[in-house]
Amino acid sequence: MTDTTESTDTHRILVVDDEPDLEPLMLQRMRRYIRKGTYEFVFAHDGMEALDALSLDSSIDMVLSDINMPRMDGLTLLERIPDVAPDIRAVIISAYGDMKNIRIAMNRGAFDFVTKPVDFDDLKFTIDRTLQHIREWKEALSARDKLVVLQNELNVASMMQQSILPNKFARSDDYKLFGTMQPARNVGGDFFDVIGLADGKVGLAIADVSGKGVPAALFMMSSRTLLKGAAMRSDGPAEALSEVNDVLNEDNDACMFVTMIYAVYDPATGELVYADGGHDPPLVVHADGSTTQLAMTEGIALGVLPEHEYLQDSYRLAPGDTVVLYTDGVTEAINAEDEQLGLQRLRRAFELSPPTGAEEAGQRVIDLVNDFAGDVPQFDDTTCLVLRRES
Amino acid sequence: MPIDTERDNGTVVARPSGRIDSSNSREFQSELEAALTDSDTALVLSFENVDYISSAGMRVVLLTARGLQRRRAKIALCSMNESIRAVFKISGFDKIVPIHESTAEAVTALGA
Repeated sequence: MTDTTESTDTHRILVVDDEPDLEPLMLQRMRRYIRKGTYEFVFAHDGMEALDALSLDSSIDMVLSDINMPRMDGLTLLERIPDVAPDIRAVIISAYGDMKNIRIAMNRGAFDFVTKPVDFDDLKFTIDRTLQHIREWKEALSARDKLVVLQNELNVASMMQQSILPNKFARSDDYKLFGTMQPARNVGGDFFDVIGLADGKVGLAIADVSGKGVPAALFMMSSRTLLKGAAMRSDGPAEALSEVNDVLNEDNDACMFVTMIYAVYDPATGELVYADGGHDPPLVVHADGSTTQLAMTEGIALGVLPEHEYLQDSYRLAPGDTVVLYTDGVTEAINAEDEQLGLQRLRRAFELSPPTGAEEAGQRVIDLVNDFAGDVPQFDDTTCLVLRRES
Repeated sequence: MPIDTERDNGTVVARPSGRIDSSNSREFQSELEAALTDSDTALVLSFENVDYISSAGMRVVLLTARGLQRRRAKIALCSMNESIRAVFKISGFDKIVPIHESTAEAVTALGA
């Protein structure tokens, strides 16, 4: 950021006056700054000429104008400047004590004024102050533009994320499903999916993509599509994760990765076969509220190590068992005392009163996070996917 | 994010501090890159002053490890608090990059 008046950028100042002696006087008194390249002066002799100059020459930074001039006076010029050059600021040269015109000029948007006879030290000071203001104004505009771009990007990422999440869950007498995602303010990369498989089986996936914003959202989209395809083709969760991992590794110089649990539930037997790809192990909540953490299968996050062989394990759900798959946005939620929610609080929430249904259990996880976090903004999405064996 | 670094005989010990998440992971990456020269043969990344690392930060660790391994230089991590250690275990990253209890252990392991 350049913020000294001795900056290397030459400032171009348009001087507007019908009196012929101002031009040589200005050039003479400001010669030191002209030679140093601080200022450059261009001249116009009335308001019309000034407007023409402004519309032709976008490099002019500011205007220094007299009030009384033929064809178009300085006060009219002030009104017209925003039409041709909205970011230009003008300084008015007025007769000493002409408060009426000075007031009109200020009301019409003049940034400042100097009085005749012109004191050139005072003029230099006024010019520098005006240029400083213009610089800050332009910086503010550019910061605003960047924010708008960033906000648009976040909106796109957020829409991509919301659009891939299932919001209707197949109904069955044997089991119930519920999933929900509460996005972080800066848009994380969580997603979950429910995939209908042959023989009445159902595939359940929960995942967390590294990083935030559009890159994470794009990686999330491809992970989800790849998993869907692999889930339908493969014999089991481990094979599905291995296939997704190999494809994600093919062109991943950015080292993005996704942690994931993929599980296949068979309602006929109550068996849940699952594979972990570097993701937090799911929690099984029993009908009495006691909990069991599923054993990890020691998998690595997907996208990290090509040809990694994923393993699977299984767990037989009893009627009334509820499996809670969640992302670390739940256990790493932060409260006002800077404490993490942690697995123990999650387990205790269910031990105190057992879940009554899939949706109730999922909603309870989100409520637990929100009650714990209070007003503290969360860094990560909060996501959970719940399966409950009814019978 | 200032990263405290010391260099001994081609081994760099780097100590980032505070939280490493998506708000400063780029800075974390450029600071790490700046800390390393092509003639360094090993990096010990110590987490003794790190409170938390998100997936965005872990991605930088992974990128750095890949970069070093590509030119046959070594990397080891050390001195993690319990929750960071758990994150590296759950994600399986502890199978990709060796993790040690202390800086001394890590330096010894890399020297061997």
